[in-house]
Amino acid sequence: MIDALVILLVLFAAWTGWRVFRVDSMIRATFSLMLSFISVGAIGVLLSAPYIGVATVFMMAVEMMVMGIFMVMFMMNPAGLNPMMMVHQHKLSIVAGVLAALGLGAAVLTTTLPTDPVPGETDVVSDLGHELLGPSMLIFETAGVTLLATMIGAVVLSSRRGRYGQADEGSRPPGLDPGGPPAGRQPEGEGGHHHHHHHHGGH
Amino acid sequence: MTTALLVLTLASTLAVGAWLGAWFDRLAPLLYGGRAAGPLAPLRAGAAALLRPRIETEAPDRMNARLAPGWYLALAAAGLSVVPFAPGAALIETPVGIVVWGSCEALTIVAVFLHGWSPNAPFPLIGAYRYAAIGLPVMLPSMFVLIAAALPAESLSFTAIVESQREVWNIVRQPLGLPLFLIVGLTLTLRGPMDFADAADIAGGTSAEDSGPGRALWQGARLAMLVSFSAVAATTFLGGPLGPALPGPVWLWIKTAAIMALTVAVGHGVARTTPSRMLTILWVVLLPLSFVHLLVSGVLAL
Repeated sequence: MIDALVILLVLFAAWTGWRVFRVDSMIRATFSLMLSFISVGAIGVLLSAPYIGVATVFMMAVEMMVMGIFMVMFMMNPAGLNPMMMVHQHKLSIVAGVLAALGLGAAVLTTTLPTDPVPGETDVVSDLGHELLGPSMLIFETAGVTLLATMIGAVVLSSRRGRYGQADEGSRPPGLDPGGPPAGRQPEGEGGHHHHHHHHGGH
Repeated sequence: MTTALLVLTLASTLAVGAWLGAWFDRLAPLLYGGRAAGPLAPLRAGAAALLRPRIETEAPDRMNARLAPGWYLALAAAGLSVVPFAPGAALIETPVGIVVWGSCEALTIVAVFLHGWSPNAPFPLIGAYRYAAIGLPVMLPSMFVLIAAALPAESLSFTAIVESQREVWNIVRQPLGLPLFLIVGLTLTLRGPMDFADAADIAGGTSAEDSGPGRALWQGARLAMLVSFSAVAATTFLGGPLGPALPGPVWLWIKTAAIMALTVAVGHGVARTTPSRMLTILWVVLLPLSFVHLLVSGVLAL
């Protein structure tokens, strides 16, 4: 029963993972990937790792929501509903994909995986906690502090407010054609009075 | 047998609770001198919504537009499934109950976002992005509040959290917990000061293009989420099914209804600010406050 469920979830995870590259919008790709991760989390729950499994679902829901917003922001696809091609650099990505699959497959096949089932009365959540805050504390804390520093760095770099003034002060968007007038909204402040001179029919 | 009974209890709690929540919403105008409506008004409104035709926007994402209300309702049911109706009697007895509820919270943001994104229309899309921006930072106080409640219980399971409150309820030893968690509830149920998804200032936001059965189901799911959130809050801070004389489920229902009334009253009584200001409040005031709450709760639990 559990075997059958695990196989179904593996197939669903692989199918939704494949859909990430076949759909035509960033938002659809993002949430296909989320479904793939949720299936992996469910497999974790079935394999007697409830905390890791459910925490995967929680983390992936939050992370994919953040990723979706960022992808739409950076991909210039405002609603995420405009059709677009989801794959690029075909040859390089095929080579990288095949190499990664072979490498991971070899790693799985050459590792001796444990076969003994977890006894029913084991308190796996508490064991995991003791492991994380005991022997593995250094790895755990290093990863945690690195992630926190990355997050703070990203917020500082992307913040509009800063100690030396607004980040976009005096910045000009690039022109729609080479050397043309800046596209979109004109920068405020400097040169605001000849705003209408720059106005062009590019909207 | 017990499982069948718990499934039935869960379904009827959600259904009756959703009706009660809708009636509370219609009683709330009394708070500021308005007119209240009777207990049958929500049923009439629901039936009327079901009979209206559905409208179709141009080039929507049909799958997500149809499924979003279903996801929302399913998340409300999944969240309630880890709440014990009597000591030790949850439908899904898991050692990681608060993490399951946390996952339902995080996926709610995704469901509301998809509900706003899928119609391919401006107001729903604005609601979807506004809600995602506000909902994500709300997850942090939620986690700290739930972890703080897990500390005296020394467990992540709601059953253990209920057991830890036999002597004294968490609302007494962790007084900041319920107010912080109420903000999470207002966000999850798209209410009042935290309603950045479906608010009137953007013509109904993510449900601006909803009509017919889809709209009825979405509003029903909002109310079901109110029931689930209130049951989780009652379990975490008010001792859940613990209480003298009456059986466990009755105590849980009474406490859930009290939290529902409180959430509805706050939702109707507190004004909403702009998303940018709310974002500052969340990061600069509420996040440090929940840190302090966790620290104090941790020291007290030692």
